[in-house]
Amino acid sequence: MNSFIIFTLLIALMLTGMPVSIALGLTVLTFLFVMTHVPTEAVALKLFTGIESFEIMAVPFFILAGNFLTHGGVAKRMIRFATAMVGHWHGGLGLAGVVACALFAAVSGSSPATVVAIGSIILPAMVAQGFPKRFGAGVIATSGALGILIPPSIVMVLYAVATGGGSAFGPNGERVLSASVGQLFMAGVVPGIMLASLLFLTTWYRARKFNYPRMPKASWGEAFTAFRKSFWGLSLIVVVMGGIYSGVFTPTEAAAISAVYAFVIAVFIYGDMGLRDVPKVLLASANMSAMILYIITNAVLFSFLMTSEQIPQAIIGWVTEMGIGWIGFLLFVNILLLLAGNFMEPSSIVLITAPILFPVAAKLGIDPVHLGILMVVNMEVGMCHPPVGLNLYVASGIAKMGITELTIAVMPWLLTMLAFLALVTYVPEISLWLPRVLGMM
Amino acid sequence: MLFLRILDRLEETLIAFLIGAATLVIFAAVTQRYLVGFPLFYGLLYDINLTWAQELCIYMFVWMAKFGAAYGVRTGIHVGVDVLVNYLSPGKRRYVILFGLFCGALFTFVVGTMGAKFVIELYPTGQVSPDMEMPRWIIFLCVPLGSYLMCFRFLQVAWSFFWTGELPHHDAAHVEGVDDFDALETPPKEPTR
Repeated sequence: MNSFIIFTLLIALMLTGMPVSIALGLTVLTFLFVMTHVPTEAVALKLFTGIESFEIMAVPFFILAGNFLTHGGVAKRMIRFATAMVGHWHGGLGLAGVVACALFAAVSGSSPATVVAIGSIILPAMVAQGFPKRFGAGVIATSGALGILIPPSIVMVLYAVATGGGSAFGPNGERVLSASVGQLFMAGVVPGIMLASLLFLTTWYRARKFNYPRMPKASWGEAFTAFRKSFWGLSLIVVVMGGIYSGVFTPTEAAAISAVYAFVIAVFIYGDMGLRDVPKVLLASANMSAMILYIITNAVLFSFLMTSEQIPQAIIGWVTEMGIGWIGFLLFVNILLLLAGNFMEPSSIVLITAPILFPVAAKLGIDPVHLGILMVVNMEVGMCHPPVGLNLYVASGIAKMGITELTIAVMPWLLTMLAFLALVTYVPEISLWLPRVLGMM
Repeated sequence: MLFLRILDRLEETLIAFLIGAATLVIFAAVTQRYLVGFPLFYGLLYDINLTWAQELCIYMFVWMAKFGAAYGVRTGIHVGVDVLVNYLSPGKRRYVILFGLFCGALFTFVVGTMGAKFVIELYPTGQVSPDMEMPRWIIFLCVPLGSYLMCFRFLQVAWSFFWTGELPHHDAAHVEGVDDFDALETPPKEPTR
């Protein structure tokens, strides 16, 4: 009964259009003052200590790094490199767009940032070459979603934070540890490359069918020059992933290092950004980070309320009673997340649902890392379809296209993503193979 | 309205400084930890103890989060679910939006008051943070200050919405510096090193 009231209140408040963080916080406060025995002090302390963890601080660092990379000309050089590699095949620039998005995703942790960084350069170029606008916007809006699947990824950090500290037990009552940021990053590599390849194939197939323009083949010299120029950006991949894997630094430290590194290449090596622009980038990053940290604070409160009301346990009881196995449960998770993706943006969805889903999944024997990757892929799909697909809005801003038109434009790629989602859901090995081989789990 | 302008600048400068400084602190700590492994730097760096860096970084970010959230109200970055609201008639929509803004003000006011009470209770205990040994009440001061500021910002936005019907809007698609549309045609200037 209580849980019913909590969720009704939360949904009602959210539908008024108030910020998700405020809706979460007000739900908790109302519940506290009206109907529970949890001491207010315990909750008050949560309010202050909710984000007092070093792990969470990876979020602002990755946002800062991403902003320096976007403004600092890294995206531009990656596009030129990708064009030199694949530009001569069918749909040249479109394919280059997919590859550039994948490369940029490997240094940035956000998906709309990837769309902006790559899209605002490559879309106008595609239109100039005679591609239909729909095709270009469709490629970029969906490929940009790779930003949160290919590590580093802000959504993965949020998942690790949201499930961390929760207690979960496996099918036989043994304790299940939540996934670490490092494990999730490694687990994202294989699905990321797979999805990039699938989107690449979709683009190539459509371009061949409609005979879209190709580019002259780049000579080896040109390709090498393009590689050399994008080298500074590309080496960030090695710094972050290598650093985390070898244990030289923690994910948060890796994020801080990449922020400083991105600053240095943007200002001193590429020189696309002056020192004068730095305060502006800092302010924009602080603005974005504070928004996410504020949602985290309130989501921590909310999940504290969930736990003290034993809601995950109630769901576990219900699932076992109904005899639902992991296959049925994951189907339900996918539908739930895809529906939620219609109304909310990824960070809120992950922060609200992950602490509830994690104990249930653990009970059914689903690996927390697998659940995390599955949620991230779901979030990707959610970002590419209306009404709140953030990527769509960003792409529509760049392409100056209406949302409805863009919705139709992304269809071929969206269907590919949905097929990939089914694959990731029911073949856990796709996510778990690499971290296992590397001995991380 | 000079006071408001000063407050705006102060807010912006503070959060931009905090995120930049926190990054440098962690960078310095990692670099020191790494370089101390080399014999050449060992003598030079061994005496520098940077164990407090992590703690300082966390507190800087907590402060940035609280004040940044207030700044975010002004820039309209706190997004909500506006699907349903957009279907309403303009007259009704206005009331729903005002209701949302007042809920924001109410929530931040309650949190600010809870925070103020907490800080007042914490002050006489003399508790300090584990690494830097900074008084904990100073650290927690960001909660009442930030929340009351955020409450003020919500009221400010509600006020201007009431009179002008305009809400601050965060444009995700706009990026300054990426207006280089013919970037692929024109070769870029050589990297200057």
